[in-house]
This record gives sequence, structure tokens and C-alpha cells, in this order.
Amino acid sequence: MKKSHENPYAVYRMTHDLLHVVYKKGISIDLKAAQHIVRDRMLLQEGKVIPVLCDIRGVKKVNKPARDYFALEGSLWVKALAFLIDPPISDMISDFYLGTHAPSFPTRSFTNKSEALAFLKTVMALVMVFSLGQLDIFAQIGR
Amino acid sequence: MLKGDDFRIKRIQQLLLEMAKGNFFYSLEPTDANDETASLIVMLNMVNEEIRASFLHQGFANAHNTPQCVVQMSLLLDSHGMVEMANQKACSLLSRLPQDVIGNALSELLTEDSQRIWAQKFPKLLKREKSDTVFPLEFKTPEGLILAKDCHLSVFHALDGSGQKILLDTVFFSKGEPFDNGMANNAMMMGKGTKQPKMPMSQADIRLIRNVHDMIINNLEKDLPGLKDLALQMGTNEYKLKYGFKQLYGTTIFRFLTQERLRKTKPLIQYSSLTLKEIAHMTGFKSVTHFSRAFKEKYGKSPSDFRS
Repeated sequence: MKKSHENPYAVYRMTHDLLHVVYKKGISIDLKAAQHIVRDRMLLQEGKVIPVLCDIRGVKKVNKPARDYFALEGSLWVKALAFLIDPPISDMISDFYLGTHAPSFPTRSFTNKSEALAFLKTVMALVMVFSLGQLDIFAQIGR
Repeated sequence: MLKGDDFRIKRIQQLLLEMAKGNFFYSLEPTDANDETASLIVMLNMVNEEIRASFLHQGFANAHNTPQCVVQMSLLLDSHGMVEMANQKACSLLSRLPQDVIGNALSELLTEDSQRIWAQKFPKLLKREKSDTVFPLEFKTPEGLILAKDCHLSVFHALDGSGQKILLDTVFFSKGEPFDNGMANNAMMMGKGTKQPKMPMSQADIRLIRNVHDMIINNLEKDLPGLKDLALQMGTNEYKLKYGFKQLYGTTIFRFLTQERLRKTKPLIQYSSLTLKEIAHMTGFKSVTHFSRAFKEKYGKSPSDFRS
């Protein structure tokens, strides 16, 4: 099953076990954009909770209302998140965002796509193992 | 003429100077380059936004220690978009002389992005007899600092028959006077409501309460233990937790919890096909009735009305 979608800010591609979001080059994200981006993601996912690979290399700016929205309303149905970055700008944006908004699921930034995918795979494998043992993996990874 | 890095460093210095004066409402235009200077500009803008938010917030929760004042920017425009009147504060914010603002087109004061938005919105504004709208605009000072803010635009007819006018209004928050000894040395005081401060909070207490905040945000769907147990769990006492949280975040822990849970329900109501019962359950509400009541209280609409 493959689904895709495009809006003025990003391109989405979803397979059965991964959502890949690629932000368009040079975009600035304000609250209105963030709401649009989250809405389209949720409509695409239809309630499915999956890991997300988020390519933010093209992002120029994310303002505070947008950051706050992504951190709470915009974090639904995300099992794990890997940012794909291109230092220094998008690296700094992701660092700043993660430093000011503690994520509720495993999140890391990568400059290399295959490492990002490997991270998401590892997290998913861990979730599988621990959920069999009924342990709260998120509490432990988060600390 | 300065070029490249020198030019951008000059702007960064300008912004830092404004921050040093307590003016956190300016920002810098991001550049197309992806280099260290550009990333410093992006970071400064975000730091400024965070300071602005906590500053306003602390002003609310602890007006005693953080004096602040409101700066209003008002511009009166005619039906051609020319500035007829600008208050003194507007001129000083824009760092221009009144004669350089008055008599000129508003668009000359805006960034390129905002000029485009203004060109689209302006004719629409005049189509209606009377209207009140809000949209974001970015003003630019001659030094290259940006003032980005939601602007209130009221369209009306002048009594003297000179046609339609637009009043553009926005407010900025600024620190009115310098801090006595600098924030770091100045332990925050805890007080209930407007009463006199009762006991000081150390940096460690503040850190702890921020951890409580993050813990709540990341476990919205779970039941929160009683304050006493929560305090014990976090290694503090009930009193510090209760009043410290109120002081830092301007609301009680349980109100905050409900408010953040409600924020999370909004996209679920709008963009999922989950039933209200499922949404209530997923976001930690005990029952649909409780959820619906809290939702209506906050947003003025019941969840089912919000969905349709």
C-alpha cells in the first residue's frame, strides 16, 4: 500500500511502515502552514501510528506558534521521528526545537538518510520486543 | 557598502543591541545561504521568540519583578494605502522620522513577502463598507530589522466625507525598566495570586517545575497522581509544586493538564474518524460528558459542533 500527497509546503509518501515527509526548498513555516501540514498528514495516515522520516533540509524558518503547534497538536500518531538535516541551518532548527520542546517519542536528527532509516527501524524493533514484555519503552528512552 | 558576512554581522549586532535594550520584538530576515552566519540569524530569531513568550508570561505571573510596558503602533491609511497618520511610537519602532512615514505608501515600510500579501489583501479590505480583520505583516526598519506581528485593520468611512480609511493597529510588549540585579541573581519569588511574595524559588526549583511541565505534556493521556504523590515523585514538596507551577506557568497543574488535553483533542476531532468517546479516552478524559463540557467551556462550541 503506497499513498502520496502534496501541498504547498511538503510532499508526503506513505508506505505500510513509514511516512516520508519532504519539505519544499526555502519554505518558512508559520502557524497556518503548520496546521495545514499536520492536517494533511493526519488525513493521509487515517489513524495509523507510524514512524516518520521528516526531511527538513529545505526549511528556512519555523516560527514559535508553529513550533508549539508541532510539539503538541502536531505530534499525534507519530511513533518515532527522524529529522533529515543539512547543517548548519536545519541542524540548528531541529536542535533548537528538540531542546525547547521535549518530544514524547524517540526523536533524532541525521544528515544521512540511511542512518535515519536505520534509527527508525531500531526503534520499531525495540518497541516490538518491549511491548511483548509489557514494558513502557518510551518512559525509558525518553529519560 | 558592506558585503556578505560583514553586512549580516552588522545586522546581528543591531538585533543584539535592541535585545540588550529589552526590545525582543525585532527579528532578522533569513538569508538564502546555508552557512554559520545564516544559522546564527535563524537561532537569534528563535531565541528572541522564546524570550518574548516567557517574558510576557512572567510579566503576567510575576509582575512584581519584571516591569513591562505596552508599545502601541498605529497607522492611519487612506483609500490608496498611503499613511496619513502615524503615532510617535510607530515612527520610533520603525526607526524613521514621521515625515518619512507620513505621506508614503504603507507597502514601502513592509518586507517583500508582506508587500505581496498587502497587495492582495488591500483591494479586498476596501470592498466592504466596514470591517475588522487581523493578518500578519512584517515591517522593516532601515537597519534591516524586522517587526513581525498580527495587525488589526479596521476599515471605516471618515465623517468628513473624505472616503474610506483604514486604521492599522498592533501592540508590542517591552521591558519598561532595567532589572535590578539581572535575572540570574534575582531569585524568583513565589506568591499566590496578587498577594505578597512568600518564598524564593531557586534555579533548581524552577528546573524541577519545568520537568513537571514536560512530564505532564508527554503523558497527557495518563492519570495524574495527586499533588502530594507527584511532589514526592519529583523530589519536592506539595507547596513548592503547587505555587511554583502557578507562578511559572500562570495556571494550576490540573487546569494546565485539561487545557493541554483539549489542545490535543482538536486535531483528532477535525481530522480523524474516531468517535468522541474514543477521543476522550485517548486524551485522558474520564468521560465524554466531562470532555464535552471542558471543550465547550474553552472553545465556546461542543466537540460535535466543532466536527460538523
